[in-house]
Order: sequence, then structure tokens, then C-alpha cells
Amino acid sequence: MQATKWSVRTLPVAAAAFAILMVGCKTEGSKSSGGAFPRDQTLYVAGSQWGDPSSFNPLAETWQPAWPVNDRFNIMYETVLNYNTLTGKMEPALGTLVSQDNDSVVVDLNPAAKWSDGKPVTSADVKFVFDLGRRFPDAATAYVTQFISEIKVTTVDVGGVKTERLNFLVNKKDRNNRLVVLDQLQAIRIAPAHVFEALLKAHGDTLGNVKKLKIDSAPVVSGPYILKSYSNEKIILERRDDYWGNKALHNGQMPAPKYIIHPIYKSNDAFAIGLAKGDLDASQTFIPRIGTKAKDGVGTWLDKSPYYVPGATPMLVLNVTKKPLGDKNFRRAMAAAINYSDVSELAVSGYSGKLNPGLVMPTVLEGKYFDSAASAAHAVALGKESAKKILADAGYKAVFKADGSLDYTTDKDGKKLPTLSIKAPAGWSDWEAMIKIAVKAMREAGIDVREGFVDASQFWPAKPSGDFDILMDKPASNVTPSLPWSRFEAVMSSRNFAEIGKSMNENQGRYNNPKSKDYNKKVDSLLNAIPLVTDSVQLKKAYVELNNIFLDDQPAIPLVYLPEQFYQYSTKTWTNWPNEKNAYGPPQLPWVSAGINTLWQLKLAK
Amino acid sequence: MLKQYPTLRYILHRGGWYVLTFLVAVIINFALPRLGSDPVDIIMGQNSGSDPATLLAKKVSFLKDFGLAKLDDKGEVVLDAEGQPIKKGLAEQFFTYVGKTLQGDLGTSFQNSKAVTEVIGDAVPWTISLQLPTIIFGWIVGNLLGALAAYKRGTFDRVFFPMALLFSAIPFFVFGMLLVYFFAVQWSVFPAMGGFAADILPGFNLDFFASAAYHYVLPFLSIFLISAGGQAIGMRSMGIYELGTDYIKYAKWLGVKESRILMYVFRNAMLPQLTGLALSLGGMVGGALITEMIFSYPGLGMAMLTAIQFNDYPVIQGVTLIVTTCVLIANFTVDLLVAFLDPRVKAGLQMGGN
Repeated sequence: MQATKWSVRTLPVAAAAFAILMVGCKTEGSKSSGGAFPRDQTLYVAGSQWGDPSSFNPLAETWQPAWPVNDRFNIMYETVLNYNTLTGKMEPALGTLVSQDNDSVVVDLNPAAKWSDGKPVTSADVKFVFDLGRRFPDAATAYVTQFISEIKVTTVDVGGVKTERLNFLVNKKDRNNRLVVLDQLQAIRIAPAHVFEALLKAHGDTLGNVKKLKIDSAPVVSGPYILKSYSNEKIILERRDDYWGNKALHNGQMPAPKYIIHPIYKSNDAFAIGLAKGDLDASQTFIPRIGTKAKDGVGTWLDKSPYYVPGATPMLVLNVTKKPLGDKNFRRAMAAAINYSDVSELAVSGYSGKLNPGLVMPTVLEGKYFDSAASAAHAVALGKESAKKILADAGYKAVFKADGSLDYTTDKDGKKLPTLSIKAPAGWSDWEAMIKIAVKAMREAGIDVREGFVDASQFWPAKPSGDFDILMDKPASNVTPSLPWSRFEAVMSSRNFAEIGKSMNENQGRYNNPKSKDYNKKVDSLLNAIPLVTDSVQLKKAYVELNNIFLDDQPAIPLVYLPEQFYQYSTKTWTNWPNEKNAYGPPQLPWVSAGINTLWQLKLAK
Repeated sequence: MLKQYPTLRYILHRGGWYVLTFLVAVIINFALPRLGSDPVDIIMGQNSGSDPATLLAKKVSFLKDFGLAKLDDKGEVVLDAEGQPIKKGLAEQFFTYVGKTLQGDLGTSFQNSKAVTEVIGDAVPWTISLQLPTIIFGWIVGNLLGALAAYKRGTFDRVFFPMALLFSAIPFFVFGMLLVYFFAVQWSVFPAMGGFAADILPGFNLDFFASAAYHYVLPFLSIFLISAGGQAIGMRSMGIYELGTDYIKYAKWLGVKESRILMYVFRNAMLPQLTGLALSLGGMVGGALITEMIFSYPGLGMAMLTAIQFNDYPVIQGVTLIVTTCVLIANFTVDLLVAFLDPRVKAGLQMGGN
């Protein structure tokens, strides 16, 4: 999912310094050069495409195609439902949510939905994409079959209109997880079956060959915009004035911008300059000290710190098979030693509010599952002295040099402990800064740990194989209906436990090995149970219990909260962006899930 | 053999060495990316939350797609006892690579299924338009000013030399950032990034060329001033050195005309500068990564960086092949140029040396 985001985030240190230089600069709006795209009909967006665009194939892996066909962006190919991260509701897209329980999720397909070639969007299209994994094990969506056993289709009468009703049956025998079914309905885009079946036929019924097609000329889409042209400098979309949803979902209105242009910038600074000058209307990149740009008409969801709504948390994943990380006292001492407000202030310009102990965030969506009294009883007391006390109580001894810096640490047998290394991709400047601040605090508390920045091509293979002492990671980075369960699953689950050296795609720190004598069955049983709990009191109880185990065992250390996307916009050309004071939509960019509705609400600045 | 054709002998001898160097370079270009992590492992590391069976199926299909897996007679991937795919041997990969390259097929990018020739074809115009004018103009202007400074000395030199020294000492990306900060951000005189305005499509029309020229000012200056400064310093010191040599003193003593002496001086001082020019033209294709990043030019440096981060073997091999070829051709040209221009080398050749 992150491929397009990390690939070019590599910045020289000088670039970071430059970004700081940029702060507080005065700028004027730039003039249109009178080209083919009048400024008052064009929306400039950025930050979702870094590399050279080449494919617009909706069946390729989510990281392969270019914006807006990558990730889970829904502006050309639509999803069945949209997820509103503000309200937690599943909003209508190609379909409308009718009901959901532990056995099935029921959706009515909008009978008005049409492809751009005039053919209706039907259950055949939905089934084509969702069942692709049953025909081809290398389908990008092959994992769906573990969660959905079957899509049953009936025809019902809704207000006098014949409507296809889709019944997504939860795969009770396999994962039995309603939450992930909802995730998939808002993430998987529907592609036209009639087009792709024909392509499959023409390519020897081999999905691998069809995945390689570019699908970049006259694509058949259902969404409000279509690819007009693209090059290595920019991607240009044009409004489809006959989009079915204008009438069916938006009271006959059309989206305000006729064109959407995504310039492809190569460094983070370009976004800050573009927004401040009004060359860009919206972007989703990390820009230091965004608050100082308010005078240039740059807005964020909140107009003061932390500016963004938390969505994901970068954390240190501890490899518990390595000495001394197998000792939970040592892990808790590490968590105690770090100064989290320093990390937020110095590494991410104060974009992170105060952290809840554990893995449940203080947001509208997750806050209801958090119990501050219970977590206080389990969370480690923060502070350098607390960390030192935990270490001393567990028999660890730190030896400091004459100048006060840490020399080494010994365990309770007096044996010297190895220096631990935190593996992170070199050049991700915000992650590097977080780690440096954490390392400094931990060393002061007597924990022998160092930064280990490696090339991204070394970082990614090390993650599933467990080839690290400590790994920087941001699990469950998208805000989806399954949070916070998916965050716990990604950090604590032993479902697919594999030894170090073999591949494991969650819990890469190898916490809670089912074969070890101190295996805690409770963790996996809670992780299996939560997706099926519908009673809110029970659900909170389960989350509190799971969070307490996390706090007791500390298999990972969350460092800051970051938003799902850095939702930021300029009001120089387009106004009426949703924000905390004008909260008609979620803090999602207009090409992400329910954020798409913003396009119908934008107004030209006077 | 070929004793009576010393020049031809020289060319063949040099050429032979370059062919050998090229072969070694191709092997290194092939081997170096393979010392790092496997591209499929990099991709799989970025996947999250799927069961082992689905992930394995994906891994197998990537290995097959990338031509890295051992295949059986039916074209299926061969699996080992644990069900893991077996990778193709390095020798087999190498010979496939060489065979395809000889047919002009540089392969397909792992990242996005784009043909490597297309990746290079898209990036090279950016790289050349960013660098060729700056290198040529920087060279001409730098050498003229340097020669002038060496000859004139005095006040001109005392003002000019420290300035040239200053420019040549600034890292070009810092200078580029400063230009952006002042000219684009503070004063809004020039655009901060891109090759042309965002609302223009490239084409043969005045709007496009005007916009491209306007956008080119800052990137041009960012490299031009620095390379001109460097060239000027080189030329100045060479000029001063030549002016103080024995042959010049001797020529002066003989009463040779000043204009003729100057011609000798600059002809000799020029040689290393010419070599430098040819080499920088050869190396130009490698791209100016940082400048490309600052001004968002999608050139070869950028293509190479993304390819390395993915360990995208075909793109790395393709780009390095092009760079290697250009550098070697440039070097070869320099060797020939020097042979024809430098009277000392020429004399050596005629006396039977190589």
C-alpha cells in the first residue's frame, strides 16, 4: 500500500533544512499561463503519485498502477461503499448498505449505476472482482475469499425500482470476520467484467498477462472522472458530465472542477511551496510547521495543533526472540524512557496529540473502546527515573562513561548486553527524527540502543523475516471500519506464526509464540472474538482487556499519532473544504473513500 | 604489425581496451544489484495482512513474472520440498540478459511493467535538456573568463578569482535551493519547479516553448554558475602555469609575437579542459539526481534512484548500460582528440609509441 509513498521520500538532510527555511516566507498567488486548463475549472492535487505513471489497470496490485487507480482511490473506479472516517458510517457508492450482522453484509446495488460505455453496473461486475481470487491465486484481491464465502444475489423492489441485492456471506469456516468484509467493501474497486473478461480471453485466460496491461486509453470506468492524459510530469483527469451518480447521489449536481491535475513532484519541499503559492489546491504530504502557512491560505482539519486527526501510529516493533528484548521488564523500561512529547514536537511539528497508553486512539471512532482508569493500572509509569527503576529492579545495570554517556548495560548475571539497533529506511526524515529522539532518551535511561538506518531495499525484506532487533513500522496505516481491531491484529496476532527467517506478515516481533510455554491464549482468542462482538458494552470490555495485555507485555512501542493522510488544502482558488468548523465531510482527500463528496461542494474563491 | 600505420594501431589498441572495459562493466552492472536484497522480497515486505498461502502464491507469480524463477517444461515454477519456489541460477540469468540485450531488448521494469527502453526514452530528454546547455555554456563562458583572468591578472583577476572560487565551492543543490527560495518563493519571479506550466501540454507551439524557457531559468542557473566557476578556475591556473613555462620564456626571448605566444599558451591550456568537457558530456546521461529532485525534473537520475530502491534489475541494468556506453564513448573520443590535438602525443605516436 505504501509503495508509492516511500519510493521517493528519500531526501538529503539539506532538504529538511530547506523546509525549515521555507517557513514564514511570503508568497503571492501565481498567475495562470493561459493554457488548456483554465485555473477556475481545474483542481490541482498532489502527493499520491511519486514515480513515473505507467499503468492504470484496476486489476493490478494496488501499488502498481498510477493515481487514481492505486491504493484504494475511488475517483475513476468506484467501490461498493465509501467509509466516512468522521462518522464511522458506510456511505453509498455503487451500492447502499442495507444491513450487516455476523453472517452477512447486505448491500443494494444502485440500479442507476452505469459504466462510461453505457452498460449498467451489475452484480456480475461485483462478483467478477470479488471472486477473481477463486479463479486466479495471483489476483490482487485473492485474500478476499478467506473472508467472503459467497455473494448471493437477489432482485428486490426498492421504491418501485428493481434493484439487485448483494448478500456478502461472511466466510464462517475460514476467518469469520465481519469487520474485514466491511474493509473490503470500501477498499476494493469494481472493474467492468465485460471488458476484462474479454481481455482475459484475448490473453490466454492468464491474469498475469492482463495485470500487465496499461488500460490507459479510453478506459471503461464508473466514477465521476476519467483519465484524459498522463506523462512523467503529471496525470490529468477530466470530469464525466454524464456520471450516473450526479443524478442518483448528488441531486443532479456535477462536481465543481472540470479537470483534476496531479503534478508529479520529486521532493517534499515542492508541496509546501505549491500549496503556499496556490499552485496546488490539495495535497497529502508531510509539511513541517503547517500552522505558519495559514496566512497563505493553507488549511488543515484543525486550525491549531495537532492540526490533523490521528489515524495511524508509527511504532517500534520489538523482536522478542532477541536478548534482552525477550524480557518484558526491559521492553517496559524502553517504553518508559521515551519522551513522547519531544518526539511529537521535534520530529513531526507537534502533529501528534497526547498518546493513549496502548493501541486505542483518542478519536471519535476508537475513543469509545478506551478506559483510562483501566489502562492507567497497566501502563508503565513514564519518565527516565521510572525506566531506571524498572531496569534496576529486573537486575540490569547501566555503566556510564565519565562524560555521562552510556557505555554498556549488563544483565542480572553481569553479562554485557549487545547494542540493540532500530532498523528503519534511510531518508524517511520524519521517522529518522523520531528514532533519534527516542534513542537519546533510552540511552540516558541506560538502555543500549542505536539508530540503524538502512536502504529501503534492505528494510522491506527484513520486516516479514524478522531480521531486526527493533523495527520501525506503521501497522494498519489506513483508517478502515476494522480499526482498532486491525491494529491489535497487526501487532499481537500469532495466527500465522512463523519462525525468524520465515515470512510473517503481522506481529513481526514474534510476540506470544504459540509453541512457547508462556503462550497467552487469551490474546488470540480476543483477536478472534472481537470482530463478532456486536454488543457495545461487551466490545469495550474485550478491547480494554486486550489493551491491558498489550500494556503489560509491551510487544511494541507506539511513538506518535499521525493522520491517515496529511489532509491539507489551499483556499486561494477553491474554498469550502471540510474542516472541524465546516464538518460536512471527513478529513479525507477528495480521491479517498467518502472524501470524494468534497468535489461536489467546492466553490470558487471570489 | 601495423607498424607503418601508427594512428590506426593506436585506435585499435585503445579500442580493444575499451571493449574489455565494457565487458567488465556489463558483468559488474549485472552483479551489483544482485548483491542486495531480492526485488520480490522487497515487494513482499510491503504487503500486509494476508495468510501464508495467498502470500506464497503471490511470491511465486512475481518470481515467474520477473523471470527469476526456475521453470519446468510446462512453464510452471519449480517448488522445493517446503513448497518454496526455486530461483534461477545467476549464470542462467546472466546469459538470458546478455542474449536479450544483444537483441536490443532491455527487459521490462519490475515496478510497473514499463519497457526499460521506454523508461530510458522518457527520462533522457529531461536529463539532456537540463544538462547539455548548462555544460556547454558553462564550459565556454568559464574558459573564456578563466583565460582572460590568467592573461589580464590585475584588478579583474583579483575580483574574478575569489568569485569563481566561491561559486565552484558551493554544492550545486544548496545553490539550487537558495535560488528557489529567493527567486521562486520570496520574490515570485520564476517558477519553483517543473519543466513547464502545469496547465500546458507539451507540443510544438509558442506557449509551450515560452513556458519551458521560463521554467528553465532557475535549473539552468543552479548548474551553470557553478560549472562555469569550476571551469574558469581550471583554465586560469592552467593559463598561468603555461605562461610561466620554459618554452614560453624561450619564445619571448626569441622575440616571438605576443599573439602567437598566446595561441601556444591556450592551445596547451585547453587540452585538459577539452578532456573535462568530453567526460562531463559522457557522464551527463547519469543524471543530476539532486537537481532533478529540487526542480521535479523526471530525468534519469530519478529513474535510477527509484529503480535502486526497488532493486528493479532490468531498469538498473538498462540505465547503467547506457551510462557505461556513453562514458566509454566519451573517453574514447577524448583519447582520439588528444592524439590529434596534442602535438606531444602525436609526436610520440609517430615515433612508434602507443
